[in-house]
Amino acid sequence: MANATLTIGGIVGLTLAVPIVGSLLPPKSSATGSWSPLSAQELDALAKATAKPVKLTFTLKFTDGYLPEQSADEYCWGIRVDNNAKFAAARPDIFNQPGGKADVPYDVVNMNFVLFSPICPHLGCYYSWHDEQNRFMCPCHGSQYTFDGTHVAGPAPRGLDPLPMRGQSGNAQVMWIVYQSNTPSRIVVSYQA
Amino acid sequence: MLNWIEQRTGFVSLAKDFLTEDVPGGASYWYVFGSATLFTMIIQIVTGIFLTFFYAPSAATAWESTRAIYLNPYTHFLIAVHYWGASAMIALVFLHLLQVLIFGAYKAPRELQWVVGVLLLLVTLVLGLTGYLLPWDMDAYFASQVSLNIVGLAPIAGPLMQHIAQGGGSMGTATINRFFGLHVWLMPAVLVALVGAHLAIFRHNGSAGPVVDDPRTLRPGRFWPDQFFMDGAFSLVIFIIICFLSFVAPPYLDQKADPTKFFVPYPAWYFLSLFGLLALVPPELHLGPLTIGTELIATIVGPTLFLVVVLLIPWLDRSKGRSFASRSGLLWITTVVIVGIIALTAYGQITTMIKQAAAPASPPESSVLAAAPAEAATLPGTAAGGSATSGAGAPVFANNCSSCHGAQGQGVPGAFPPLANNPVVTGDPNKVIGIVTGGLHGTISVNGQSYNGMMPAWKGTLTSKQIADVITYVRGSLGNNKASAVTEAQVAGYKP
Repeated sequence: MANATLTIGGIVGLTLAVPIVGSLLPPKSSATGSWSPLSAQELDALAKATAKPVKLTFTLKFTDGYLPEQSADEYCWGIRVDNNAKFAAARPDIFNQPGGKADVPYDVVNMNFVLFSPICPHLGCYYSWHDEQNRFMCPCHGSQYTFDGTHVAGPAPRGLDPLPMRGQSGNAQVMWIVYQSNTPSRIVVSYQA
Repeated sequence: MLNWIEQRTGFVSLAKDFLTEDVPGGASYWYVFGSATLFTMIIQIVTGIFLTFFYAPSAATAWESTRAIYLNPYTHFLIAVHYWGASAMIALVFLHLLQVLIFGAYKAPRELQWVVGVLLLLVTLVLGLTGYLLPWDMDAYFASQVSLNIVGLAPIAGPLMQHIAQGGGSMGTATINRFFGLHVWLMPAVLVALVGAHLAIFRHNGSAGPVVDDPRTLRPGRFWPDQFFMDGAFSLVIFIIICFLSFVAPPYLDQKADPTKFFVPYPAWYFLSLFGLLALVPPELHLGPLTIGTELIATIVGPTLFLVVVLLIPWLDRSKGRSFASRSGLLWITTVVIVGIIALTAYGQITTMIKQAAAPASPPESSVLAAAPAEAATLPGTAAGGSATSGAGAPVFANNCSSCHGAQGQGVPGAFPPLANNPVVTGDPNKVIGIVTGGLHGTISVNGQSYNGMMPAWKGTLTSKQIADVITYVRGSLGNNKASAVTEAQVAGYKP
């Protein structure tokens, strides 16, 4: 009788636990990012810049739960890359796959540009460019990166993360991706702001 | 291991104390209602807690987050269990009270347990009332509007209480916040505290047991595991019923609340008797020169007096024993009251159904859920390309036509013609399409009456699909109209 009573409790508990746990687990995500247009003037400035990165601003559209479509101001850092092979050699943390392929499923260098996510790969702060040191420096824990995004100082486990870029009907566009913090490899976490 | 815990906490002996209790006369399926009520309360708390993981209380998010809850199969099941669990809990509280009443178990020394039990019924009803508003769809809005206005009817403090409950002079985002606070924090806390008191008093006095002349002759039975198993078995049956209903008849989510639309609210079944009472009494009673408003009596004075009488039953019943024979008067009154409540419930149900049949129908849930949140307020009919249906036309009619032609298409004398039982409407469909798309002005004559209001041209404002839907609705569903449907192609291809 005691066992039968406990069985009843188990049945009820399981029946409720399945939908509760199911509702909390992350859904199988087939979502991909959306493309945001970049400003023509800022791209122009990037095309003229030689040894300095340029901040490229754009409006990121995204969905957030049950809310209607949201938009937020975002930016990324762009650098001009004149020699693809030199860049690939400088960034072994990106081009580390067999045959020297990138660990991200898109072309890292487009139209001689590389775009970097403004998020520090250590723990997610926004870093910035410092002219005097000629470095990208993160204010939170002092990670430092060279012009081409190579990690040179501080606790970050990898260099700066590239973002996908494409040309579409005369406009350049960027796709926003958030990568997992503090891992040597790049794992997509979300496409949200 | 258990010993180690027991020596340091005493929890094991506490649990043993809790489970060890004499059941006079042995365990019985007659005693399962209280435990089953407690069981449904636990179901409500568990599902409710996890629903708050997904629900956001504000006018901008309540309906939207509820829609997201409906769209996810897991949370849809949780909200359905919460919905049917509420009905089960209220039904079980009623049955539990009724059983205690019939068996005279409220008699000394258990008077206060009865009082706490009646208060628990009240708290449960308030939980039902406040939870009804939270989805913020049409029915949630208008049904809560009715109950809030009834609060405002109360003498002296009524308007202030209504203002406090709805967080302002009218319903809005503050109302959702307050009902959420009541439904999720205050009332559950009061409920759990009262249940604690109810159980403490129960253990203090022991179980009342069956109705016998001399209770000392009863052999004691075991609570654990005998009675506990019966409670569990009955609770499992209740749970299976709740889950079954959650699968085959989950609650319906209507369009987002829109105060400007015509809507016939539908109360939860446990308020239908009060609703029926209000529908039954005439608005005013004339006693010679005296005119008495009956609304206040039917909604507040009557139910309050009834509640006071129910609370005082342990003291009003002066009979010596618990036997049925010595309490036949009370049992007869109980029977009459129960029959009355059932009759009022049936009356409330019938009046609601009659009113709803005359009102524009709510759209099917699939189209409510399919619409993107921003445009859900004005549903553009069913899926594009399909044939026009009267179901899709009803919201178009309610949004665009009912303000002049009336919610039931009855029209306005002298200005706007009726659409119900109007031979032009049910006649040549091409003529109807012409009037709706191109508008109409000047004096017209319908059924011998003349009308001079202006009909705007709807082409451009409404899509061809919407025009086809609304004409189909007007021709096929208003009044006794039974004319043929109109297709989108007919509207698009219309030439004046």
